[in-house]
Amino acid sequence: MKIQDVIQFSVKALSGYTIRTFLMILAMAIGVASVILLTAMGEGARVFVTREFSSLGTYILIVLPGRSETTGGPPPLLGETPRELTLEDVLFLARSSVIRRVAPITVGSAPVSWKHREREVTILGSTETLFDIRQLSMAQGSFLPAGDPTRGSGVCVLGYKLKKEIFGNQSPLGEWVRIGDRRFRIIGVLAKKGQSLGLDMGDVAIVPVASAQALFNTSGLFRVLVQANGRNAVQKAKKTILSEIRKRHEGEDDVTVITQDALLSTFDRILLAMTLSVAGIAAISLSVAGILIMNVMLIAVSQRTTEVGLLRAVGATSSQIHRIFLAESAILSLIGAAFGIILAFLGTWGISRGYPDFPVTVPAWALGAAVFVALLTGLIFGVLPAKRAARLDPVQALSRR
Amino acid sequence: MLINDSAKQAIHALASQRMRSFLTALGIAVGIAAVVLLTSIGEGIHKFVLSEFTQFGTNLIAVTPGKTTTVGMSGAVISNVRPLSIDDALALGRIPKILGVVPFVQGNASTEFGKHGRRTYVFGVGPEAPKVWQMKVAMGRFLPDDDPRASRAFAVLGDKVMRELFGIVNPLGRRIRIGGRRFRVIGVMESKGQMLGFDLDDAVYIPTARALAMFDRESLMEIDLLYAATGRLTKIVKKVRSLLMDRHGTEDFTITTQEQMLDVLGSVLDILTMAVGALGGISLLVGGVGILTIMTISVNERKAEIGLLRAIGARRGQILTLFIGEAVVLSGIGGFAGLMIGAGGAWILGGIVPALPTHTSWQYVVLAETLAVLIGLLAGVLPAHRAASLNPIEALRAE
Repeated sequence: MKIQDVIQFSVKALSGYTIRTFLMILAMAIGVASVILLTAMGEGARVFVTREFSSLGTYILIVLPGRSETTGGPPPLLGETPRELTLEDVLFLARSSVIRRVAPITVGSAPVSWKHREREVTILGSTETLFDIRQLSMAQGSFLPAGDPTRGSGVCVLGYKLKKEIFGNQSPLGEWVRIGDRRFRIIGVLAKKGQSLGLDMGDVAIVPVASAQALFNTSGLFRVLVQANGRNAVQKAKKTILSEIRKRHEGEDDVTVITQDALLSTFDRILLAMTLSVAGIAAISLSVAGILIMNVMLIAVSQRTTEVGLLRAVGATSSQIHRIFLAESAILSLIGAAFGIILAFLGTWGISRGYPDFPVTVPAWALGAAVFVALLTGLIFGVLPAKRAARLDPVQALSRR
Repeated sequence: MLINDSAKQAIHALASQRMRSFLTALGIAVGIAAVVLLTSIGEGIHKFVLSEFTQFGTNLIAVTPGKTTTVGMSGAVISNVRPLSIDDALALGRIPKILGVVPFVQGNASTEFGKHGRRTYVFGVGPEAPKVWQMKVAMGRFLPDDDPRASRAFAVLGDKVMRELFGIVNPLGRRIRIGGRRFRVIGVMESKGQMLGFDLDDAVYIPTARALAMFDRESLMEIDLLYAATGRLTKIVKKVRSLLMDRHGTEDFTITTQEQMLDVLGSVLDILTMAVGALGGISLLVGGVGILTIMTISVNERKAEIGLLRAIGARRGQILTLFIGEAVVLSGIGGFAGLMIGAGGAWILGGIVPALPTHTSWQYVVLAETLAVLIGLLAGVLPAHRAASLNPIEALRAE
């Protein structure tokens, strides 16, 4: 018997029982579709986070004041230190050859008011370098001008949402707003960019760092964003920052440097683990489908005893019988997998129509893995029925008529 | 035919096809086991997270600077133009039904004793912190009830800091340096462990005024209030709000109650558990398709039997009950087995991995079991209907 014959024979046998075959394929398809769909959603979440991170700019290092002794734990994201990270530290870092740009950041909250309208928003104090490092874009006007960062001028840039809330459709350029107890002239409005790592860049006002420090009466910085010269320079930049700051801080290691890659790979690992476990849970349903296939194949063997006997009588060997039944379950699961893939693609299409912001992509490895697992389940659960069929004694099988 | 007879007949039919029945029930069992196990883990995590949060007590109100409309950190915690001061905290403490108040500021500094040094969290707190946060002092005492604006330079160490800096030396009465300033150790806290990644034992507690001076700050980061369990929360929150409005002129602060936080957290975790359970439910669905398949086959095989039953006077309704009964018994048995496997698995998992708490919630167990029977019912209807609508003469001829 050739392979084609085996396949033809199985397909015929399967199409003889339409309802039962359809139901088995349905069961397999549900399993395969859920595995692929969930993997696609997990993958989508991963892509989403990666995109968020790259919106932060490339080759970025984040310097925060303070350091906790236990490594691996959360960095001191929030909190004060006796010795602050100052603007002078930042200007000093900017001189290093491995560092391209440095953007100091102070953060605070203050009411922004114009005429009778007021809104309490996050105030970012920074320099013109922030524009390139965070890859911002302007909707109107220009960003903070270059100049001596230790001199604060009375200009500010508004986020998109803030502009909308206070000015509506009017052009705010050139208007004076009051932030806290100081006056600032609006020179630009940021383009709509959406959330970025928890900070809504639409609802902020950006002022020169020295002005922000005066506004909040602090001399320290909340964060420093450093852009290294290239991928290879990131680690070198980290070392440089640590050693330079140590020198300036009288030999004390009191800053934490986080590289973007480290942050990204942590998130990547977590999301990958999540995707795998969710897909694994869905894969349980594949085993249930496998049990069903085994069950039905067992019934089929007992129903087709005479047929098997006849085949043996006309000279089929028991290994050929074995092969025929295995082929049947393999074909069942493959067709199921094919329908499952179609279902999954329909599902992803639906999701991408419903949530255009969320990138759902079916990863190639998930397709391959799902088909492979489906085939494997079909074969594993097909072994027992096939064995039983092959073991039938032809004489007895025929005499049962 | 009595119900008894129907049940007997159904069970007999199932028993005569042992392998087939076993495999069908197994499909359902795997599905139910997945649902039970996954929801057990979900519930366990729910309980664990809530207990992490409630270890500071439940009757807490937190006041933070800056008005935020959405949940999340406001820039105002870091710096702001309208500070929340120690005086605000003192005023809040005078509201009736407020049992304790902690003006809170947090930072990071190095703590040194002799040659040993360690960078730790520094918590600026008031003397009532142990009462409000339900912490216990292991050695010595907590910060004394000094004038909050000019407290003496005393420090209380976290358990880990004490061990790292002092080893077996008694730290009480010793002088240490925190962030370059001198403090006298007057107590050591009991070990409290990690809370959501933050090591609370790796911290030193100093008076709020001292911490504000050390970090050169004007504003507190948070004021925590403990209210009497007898008090009405909404009334207290109203009082806190109006008092601060009187002092500040505008609402430039945010009030968060522990109850709100727990509610939000609880509902998020509930959704998570449900989502995981639903994932397990996919297997249940596939198991249902399994029952449908087997029952269809079974109806086909037993045409003659059905014909005979009809011939001796069984009505359609009775045939229907018979086959639906079979499907329900199958799924019920499968569901029960799955329950055993799932709950047992959760129990064993909890034993092997103590860090992963599991808790089998009866609510989900009942839900899963009901679902199993329901699936059996649904999957049984179609084949049973088919069996019932067989023409007895045709059916008998099939023999």
